[in-house]
Amino acid sequence: MARNSKAERREGRAGRIRSLFGAAGLATTLVLAGSLSARAGEVTVGQSTSLSGSIAQLGITGQRGITMALDKINAEGGLLGQKVRLVVADDGMTPANGTTNVRQMILSDHIKALFGPVSSAVGAAEETLAAQYRIPYFLFTSNDVRMTTQVFTPYAFQVVPNTVMEPRAVARYLAELVGKKPITLAIITPNYSFGRDSADSFVAALRAYGVDVKVLTQQFPKLGETDYTPYIPPLVAAHADYVFVGQYGGDLITFTKQALGFGLFKVSTVVGQYGRQVLTALAGQVPAGTIAFDRAPYWAMEGEGVKRFTEAYHTRYHEWPSAWAILGYTAVETWAAGVKKAGDFDGDKLVAALSGTTVETIRGPITLRACDHQGNVAEYVGRVSREVDPRYGQQIYTDVKAIPGEETMLTCEEAQKLQPRH
Amino acid sequence: MNFASVAIEVLSALTAAANLFIIAAGLSLVFGALRIINLAHGSFYMIGALLMASLFALGRPEILFWPALVLAPLLMAGFGAILERLLFRRIYHAEHLVQLLLSYALSLMLADLALRIWGADTRSVPTPAALAGVLVVGGASFPLYNLFVITLSLAVGLGLWVLLRHTRFGWEIRAAVEDAEGLSLCGRNVPALFTAVFALGAFLAALGGAAVAPLQAIGPGMDSAILVSAFIVAVIGGLGSIAGAALGAAIIGFFQAVGTLWLPTWAPAFIFLAMIMVLVIRPSGLLGAAQRAWAEED
Repeated sequence: MARNSKAERREGRAGRIRSLFGAAGLATTLVLAGSLSARAGEVTVGQSTSLSGSIAQLGITGQRGITMALDKINAEGGLLGQKVRLVVADDGMTPANGTTNVRQMILSDHIKALFGPVSSAVGAAEETLAAQYRIPYFLFTSNDVRMTTQVFTPYAFQVVPNTVMEPRAVARYLAELVGKKPITLAIITPNYSFGRDSADSFVAALRAYGVDVKVLTQQFPKLGETDYTPYIPPLVAAHADYVFVGQYGGDLITFTKQALGFGLFKVSTVVGQYGRQVLTALAGQVPAGTIAFDRAPYWAMEGEGVKRFTEAYHTRYHEWPSAWAILGYTAVETWAAGVKKAGDFDGDKLVAALSGTTVETIRGPITLRACDHQGNVAEYVGRVSREVDPRYGQQIYTDVKAIPGEETMLTCEEAQKLQPRH
Repeated sequence: MNFASVAIEVLSALTAAANLFIIAAGLSLVFGALRIINLAHGSFYMIGALLMASLFALGRPEILFWPALVLAPLLMAGFGAILERLLFRRIYHAEHLVQLLLSYALSLMLADLALRIWGADTRSVPTPAALAGVLVVGGASFPLYNLFVITLSLAVGLGLWVLLRHTRFGWEIRAAVEDAEGLSLCGRNVPALFTAVFALGAFLAALGGAAVAPLQAIGPGMDSAILVSAFIVAVIGGLGSIAGAALGAAIIGFFQAVGTLWLPTWAPAFIFLAMIMVLVIRPSGLLGAAQRAWAEED
């Protein structure tokens, strides 16, 4: 085990260096690969994700969820009598590194399943590659709807609300809040497809729910921007009723701290992805009543499964789980349920077994639609609480609504129209 | 568009410029004196911010802010001196490619080290109570802390000018740049001088990091994000020129603010546009004449 983790770390560094040194990095990986091939009585699964850089937090905690799920499977005797081993690599947030890592995992480690990365750009590239080798692929953090539509392959399963579902869920919550009253909106989102898509979907969904909305201003700082001071005054000056913020993770923390100084929260109600890590880092500074959404907030989720996982995660890592950890755990549960149902690790048999079925997970049953393999997972929307919760050491949500996936997903006809013709 | 929003936007542009100046000044100083292109400069900035967060975690924020603001950069300066003695000293006469490889490798190692020590979680440092207020301009508010960052960078600029132009240390640096061997023959300890310059560069990077800590999320990725901006500023101003760094920072801050106000969709492209325009007109940067002279001499 110790040998593995050391090799894995080196592999992670190789991932980044490879972007600079190309062939030299590849050689390093291939040498390392020799030491990691499969052993008897054991199957290997892989995950290449972002373990360094500004989104490392998402990658690392997601991987912890995967690790905990696999440890549980192995403690109970494995899957079909085989122990499951995880190989990991760092994609350094670039698709080229992701695909190189995945190709090596497939060819040298003979992985039986692949778990998705943080970035949707990487995810889309890996999806095509995994399908070429008939490897089942489970997406749980990257959530671009294209992965179940334009670049859909039958080997991919999505267990996180996608970029259509998430903004629609938030829009539905807001629509119920404002009713027939006309509202004004300002928007700030990161300047790439995720940001622009989610802003457009949010406005379109509000209108579809019958809200009379007027967009006053839109700002598009780059992803990973560290200084939002030039962008905030125009948002304040707009005096919009609501400000939709598409930034997430560290970017949202930075934006919030700077926006507080300019008094943005006093003139507008902010709508943003205030999840576990953001709320913890901001240590009670988020103004009460801010509209918050998250894909798996442990404090707001019902069910014994999630509660047990939350406690176990806290015991093991001395912090509360992020949404990515919970989603990583459910991704493994989904794969394991497919293997059991198929009675085989084979990719094609597993895809046939999982497609259109319902699997039991810690977050409750998830149905994977046959038409696009999107799970009907809920998005959680609420208002940030006034006080820091004494047990969790962070603000939590009040007035939480779990918006079911069925209500926000594209219809099968819509999804299939966008899918490539095979 | 009224007076208040223009005033706020100008102050915002100045904040962005102020922070960039502190960091780019260190980068430029080290290049000017040692001719080292240090790609690990962003790592020093990140470590400065992380040290600030760690010092804060020790106790009461209202008491700790000022000591931490000085102590974090001092710790980084000490660490910078060690790195200079162990690594950078060996490559002063190597070609730029070797310097790039060494400092890039160092930046990767420092990123991993920071991940090991501080973890992947992003941290947040509270604004000190004395600076938590706002300045009200025509009904719009502007954070006092941003004014503090602007003041700090003016102080840094003034301090560097005095140090380089009006002290023995500055005179020796300029002499060493002209003729290190000659200075050495005069009985000056040139290696120690270079260590001090490198440590000062590290100090400035970490000071930038510590100063912006209350304004930003602190965590992995800060290093590479700032490095690109700092290089753009230093290159526009002319690598090696402190005054150039100030001018470059002001230009970048201005372009960003104007871009945000009038063409928000294209705002991020404006700073690159500024860089390209300057480099087309003056390839060595606005105040980069000195650098060109060295290049010819080399």
